[in-house]
Amino acid sequence: MSNPSTGASSKSKLASSQPSETSFKRKRGVFQKDLQHMMYGFGDDPNPLPETVALVEDIVVEYVTDLAHKAQDIGSNRGKLSVEDFLYLIRKDLPKLNRATELLSMQEELKQARKAFEVDEEKLGTLE
Amino acid sequence: MKQSKDPFEAALEEQEESPPDSPVGEDELNSQIPNEAQNQTNGGQNILLDDDDDYDELGPTIKNPSHPSSSSTPKLHSASVNASIAAAVTNKNKEYDDDEEEENVDVELSKFPSSADPTKMAKMQAILSQFTEDQMSRYESFRRSALQKSNMRRLLVSITGSQKISLPMTIVVCGIAKMFVGELVEKARMVMTERKESGPIRPCHIREAYRRLKLEGKVPKRSVQRLFR
Repeated sequence: MSNPSTGASSKSKLASSQPSETSFKRKRGVFQKDLQHMMYGFGDDPNPLPETVALVEDIVVEYVTDLAHKAQDIGSNRGKLSVEDFLYLIRKDLPKLNRATELLSMQEELKQARKAFEVDEEKLGTLE
Repeated sequence: MKQSKDPFEAALEEQEESPPDSPVGEDELNSQIPNEAQNQTNGGQNILLDDDDDYDELGPTIKNPSHPSSSSTPKLHSASVNASIAAAVTNKNKEYDDDEEEENVDVELSKFPSSADPTKMAKMQAILSQFTEDQMSRYESFRRSALQKSNMRRLLVSITGSQKISLPMTIVVCGIAKMFVGELVEKARMVMTERKESGPIRPCHIREAYRRLKLEGKVPKRSVQRLFR
């Protein structure tokens, strides 16, 4: 099991100057810090066991990978990947679907709000 | 007074730039309470926006659940969360001439109250006011934790091989993944109570939870077996 190439990419977070096309290079502990807080929020101990966090991270990465692959299959008809593909995939899971649409609408609102503020600031700038 | 760093804005910046452990947000929350004492009554409308506050981009400002600086009472915690939102509302009106370099700074949170349901918010207020400190810190972790968008984007790029991952897509996938983590952890806790065990969740519980989720069909099945890891 001694594979020098995977050893190099294990914990080091390289600045991704070249995008890796295949998912073989998986850096461990990418989501570790966030996952610890998230697991506490959802009911785990304030300090979750590191092996538990690592396992959850693996499962989540696998979940996202499967989701993205399926979305890509769906989106390949259109030619590119879009958000609707993901929404279609989780259509059966109502809580997730509602949450996703809520996030999208909030992001739109924030975008509009930022745009509105920039316009206001310009106006104020010209006034002064 | 220069209030260029709203907690939510600070969280937005932190998400982009610095490591998430910077205590800026914490200080901001505490410093905004004296400003907003008078807004507490007003707060019923625009506070603790159940769904809207949840916006994960706002990031984990307060990292340590047992952080001592906001150590007093759960009232303070809820007050601080209230205050920050109320403060942000008034902030927008005060701070037009502020000279801000950062791009993500001006989040107009005054939009949120209109889309929230007042009865639901009143209910949330009633529940939250009765939280113990432990419960409050856990709830805070729940609301503020999020997967980093940059990491998620990198992962998606490496999976799909395409560089064109839009921001909404990253946000949606982060949200979906967070809910998935929630399902996993909750089911693992259920497994633990069935087996009458206690303490931190162990990998065996997670594996059992994952197996059960697969049986329920909540995990997308891969049509092709992944042979080499």
